[in-house]
Amino acid sequence: MSLFRIALAGEGGQGVQSIAEILAEAAYNENKQAIYIPNFGLEQRGGVSIAFLQFSERRIGAPKFQKADIVIALSSRAVERTLTYSGEETLYVYDSSFKLGPEELPEQAKQIIDLPAIETANNKLHPRVFNIIIMGAVIGLSNVVSFEAAKEALEHKLAYKFEKDPKLRELNYKALEIGKEMGEKALKEGVV
Amino acid sequence: MQRVIGESKRSFVTGNEAAAWACMAAGADIMFGYPITPQNEIMHYWTRIAPQFEREFLQTEDELSAGFTVCGAVQSGKKAFTATAGPGNVLMQEPFGMAEAMRLPIVGIIQQRGGPSSGTVIYSQQEVTLTTFGGNGEGHRIVYSTATHQEIYDYIVKGFNVAWKHRFPVFILGDGYQAKMREPLEMYDPQDKGIEMVEPYPLLGLGGKIGTDREPSHLCNIYSLEEELYEVVLKFAAEYEALAPQIIEYEERECDQSDIIILAHGVVSRAADDAVKALRAQGIKAGYFRPITLRPFPQQQLRDAIARSGAKKMLIAESAYGQFDRLVKQEIYGETISIENLFMPGVGIIENDIINKVKSIL
Repeated sequence: MSLFRIALAGEGGQGVQSIAEILAEAAYNENKQAIYIPNFGLEQRGGVSIAFLQFSERRIGAPKFQKADIVIALSSRAVERTLTYSGEETLYVYDSSFKLGPEELPEQAKQIIDLPAIETANNKLHPRVFNIIIMGAVIGLSNVVSFEAAKEALEHKLAYKFEKDPKLRELNYKALEIGKEMGEKALKEGVV
Repeated sequence: MQRVIGESKRSFVTGNEAAAWACMAAGADIMFGYPITPQNEIMHYWTRIAPQFEREFLQTEDELSAGFTVCGAVQSGKKAFTATAGPGNVLMQEPFGMAEAMRLPIVGIIQQRGGPSSGTVIYSQQEVTLTTFGGNGEGHRIVYSTATHQEIYDYIVKGFNVAWKHRFPVFILGDGYQAKMREPLEMYDPQDKGIEMVEPYPLLGLGGKIGTDREPSHLCNIYSLEEELYEVVLKFAAEYEALAPQIIEYEERECDQSDIIILAHGVVSRAADDAVKALRAQGIKAGYFRPITLRPFPQQQLRDAIARSGAKKMLIAESAYGQFDRLVKQEIYGETISIENLFMPGVGIIENDIINKVKSIL
């Protein structure tokens, strides 16, 4: 795997940083090189939360980047904030719960994909696993980590919650699975 | 030495966490600190793990106080350190200057943020001038500019030893990106790598009779006679300059027979290294030079690299408006190589920024 760059952006509380951390940890556990850096500081208070992730087989250089291989934007403000990271080779993904006009979408992208993650979480699973669907979608779209490694890292991160309520484990794994399929399907269909 | 890490292990943590563990593994007794982003988690992790290893922590009322309490603790024979950033680093320059004057083995970790003033809480390389020459003295201090989590860990371990062995203040110069990002590193107990840690020792309150049993321990930061100060500063300067060759560290790659040498330090050197590889792959003869110690500076090594390279140009890239550039120029005064620069104050630099700049000037 050559260098792969992902920008995940959402509103505070959508869990963007949590899944970025889990993905980075999963890659690290698979002996890949990984760097994860959040945007932090004042902007995050009431602003858009962005996670910058990079994966590679060899040492990774600068911690931030200009263009991502995948951008995922989970709110309309997050779309606005991440247009700059979309280039000619970028898969640009946003949630289909908010409607965007063509002028609001990035000018440059290899493919623009809308995913019904919020809707699926609310109607089929539980609103709290929305971010795990997104995490699954990242895997479906990119294969940066294996599904098994993602599950293990998820288990590691949420073990204390799973212990209290074992049903949560099932719910999270299901969300991960659904997200992965959603990502794979979108890639195949090539929706623009 | 108390074992902290046990069997050496690979970890995936933030730079701040790496720093806290490194201080623990190096046998630091106490941290004095005052909260400031982006170094807060050094304090957080330290306070979380310190009780397990019977180490201590004191949050002072401000950075001035944190700096001075570190100065006090080392005099009593405790391995002490602090960590700060931005305006906190400004306030700490007074105690850091005192540490220079009294030759105190303090260790400070600086995670640079944007300035001036409160600036951003995020990232920059704008604390180079402050950290190398910030006091009202001559900059008799040792500054390691790290680029990876492994280096944060390694140079903190080394930094405590250098401080206690040579009695010059030591600074580990990181930045907000290094502080906050997660990447892999190996944590270890120094003895497992054959590193013997220098035991701390009290500088004051020593036993024996002065004049017969021992020399006086003369720690002074105030003088009534100009000539007295003059003699001390000259003595320190001579000792610092004599020590420099043992302390200086740098990285150099592909400088021989190059058309351009790219100079960077800290986290930007990662992008510079990648840029040189990419440029070489495109047939452009670029070389890479990175001082790891900003004080003392590898000036002879850089002069030699310039001479060997035959390069006509040098590009200095930094996330500040010329602080590193000034440092380099004063160190290699007299060289005739033409110097170009890429100044991006307060923002990150990636390899493409450097590649594009090189192409525009060659």
